[in-house]
Amino acid sequence: MEILAYILISTGLIFFLGTTIGLLRFPDFYSRMHAASKGDTLSTVLILLGCICLVSTQGEMNWLLGLKILLIINFIFIGSPTATHAMMDAGNKAGAEPWKKDSQ
Amino acid sequence: MMPSLPIWQFDVLLLVLVVLFAVVALSIRNLMGAAVVFGAYSFMMCLIWAGMGAVDVAFTEAAVGAGVSTVFIVSTIYNTSATMRSRPGGMAFKLFIGVVVTLAGVFLLSALPDFPDWGDPNSPANATVAPYYIENSIRDTHVPNLVTSVLADYRGFDTLLETIVVFIACIAIYSILRIETAKSKTDEPEEDIATAPPSYDPSDSLIVRQASRFMVPFMQLFALYVIAHGHYSPGGGFQGGVILGASLILLAISFDLKFLLRQWREKPLMLLVASGVCLYATVGLACMFTGGNYLDYGSLDSVLPNDRAMARSHGILLVEIGVGITVMFSMLAIHINLASNGRFDRGL
Repeated sequence: MEILAYILISTGLIFFLGTTIGLLRFPDFYSRMHAASKGDTLSTVLILLGCICLVSTQGEMNWLLGLKILLIINFIFIGSPTATHAMMDAGNKAGAEPWKKDSQ
Repeated sequence: MMPSLPIWQFDVLLLVLVVLFAVVALSIRNLMGAAVVFGAYSFMMCLIWAGMGAVDVAFTEAAVGAGVSTVFIVSTIYNTSATMRSRPGGMAFKLFIGVVVTLAGVFLLSALPDFPDWGDPNSPANATVAPYYIENSIRDTHVPNLVTSVLADYRGFDTLLETIVVFIACIAIYSILRIETAKSKTDEPEEDIATAPPSYDPSDSLIVRQASRFMVPFMQLFALYVIAHGHYSPGGGFQGGVILGASLILLAISFDLKFLLRQWREKPLMLLVASGVCLYATVGLACMFTGGNYLDYGSLDSVLPNDRAMARSHGILLVEIGVGITVMFSMLAIHINLASNGRFDRGL
């Protein structure tokens, strides 16, 4: 179980690294938000799943703790894409130009 | 409870980030950006509190500093201007301010070596009253979370006055911003709630509205849990009240302020702000009527079913509910005042 936890957490960290690189390297607002949102959500969910595996190995009442983390995952899964959607919408209304290949 | 990990490198990293965020928030010209950086600053402070083992303080910092106060700043910017005007005064003025700030910093730093070490058992705070709380809290009040028992029972007067401070802040913002005359000019006639058109702009994103509609009940349930479970885990009236207020502010932002104002009229709102403080003070008075001192919940055992210690536990719960009510509706009233520019009709 612990090994599974470490695998999940390190996969999450790798996705976080990808998120950061994407945030820094992508050319315009929309693709940056896309990198930040997708990578951020997935890696947070992976890390929290790893945390569930970790707490399931130690102490009593761990199922309650795992359930609470599961609820947090649920909220991140709903909240984070919605926040990204709202920001994208605001960017669209503010007139952020999407990047095109020949625009450089 | 896990003990706080003694990783001092992590603390140093967080402190460096805090200073960095503070400098960035001051130097950034766009105030909206400064507000967001300020939220990040608060979140770093929250992590530092959590690392020091002060989970209740970290909870409050996350709810108030990173959450609601950022919303307050944004709604203030909404009604003013997002760009900073250049400050008055020339080079001499700036030099003067620089000297004053440097001197204040030097004085503060010179007092730093007088502080006891962190967690020093012989420091005045740890040597006098703290051992009594640690040894007797469970026996006196049946409350395992020492922070709650100290906050609401042993130091109940302090918390009563803190609640009054929140109340006064709400009243002050209300009395500064509220405009009575402007309402009659801009407000349309009273509309029937059942037949009126939707109070939000239907062309705004449906996703945001539906997601917040889904999340708000769970947020409120969690806030009630935080208030009621504050005896056993981090939390209490302040944190739970802020989360309750934030859930309604989320509705106001994702729909429209009018959507919220249809359910929360001005008068009941301000009465509820006061009723929380009243509940707290009434619990104190009830203790006097049952033969104890003011806020001595133990004497309530003559009206409550259980023994003295359980009566103190229930008394703590009652005053936490009072704190929660005041904080929740204060947050709501402050947000409505800031967002609608004191008109209580429409806004952010």
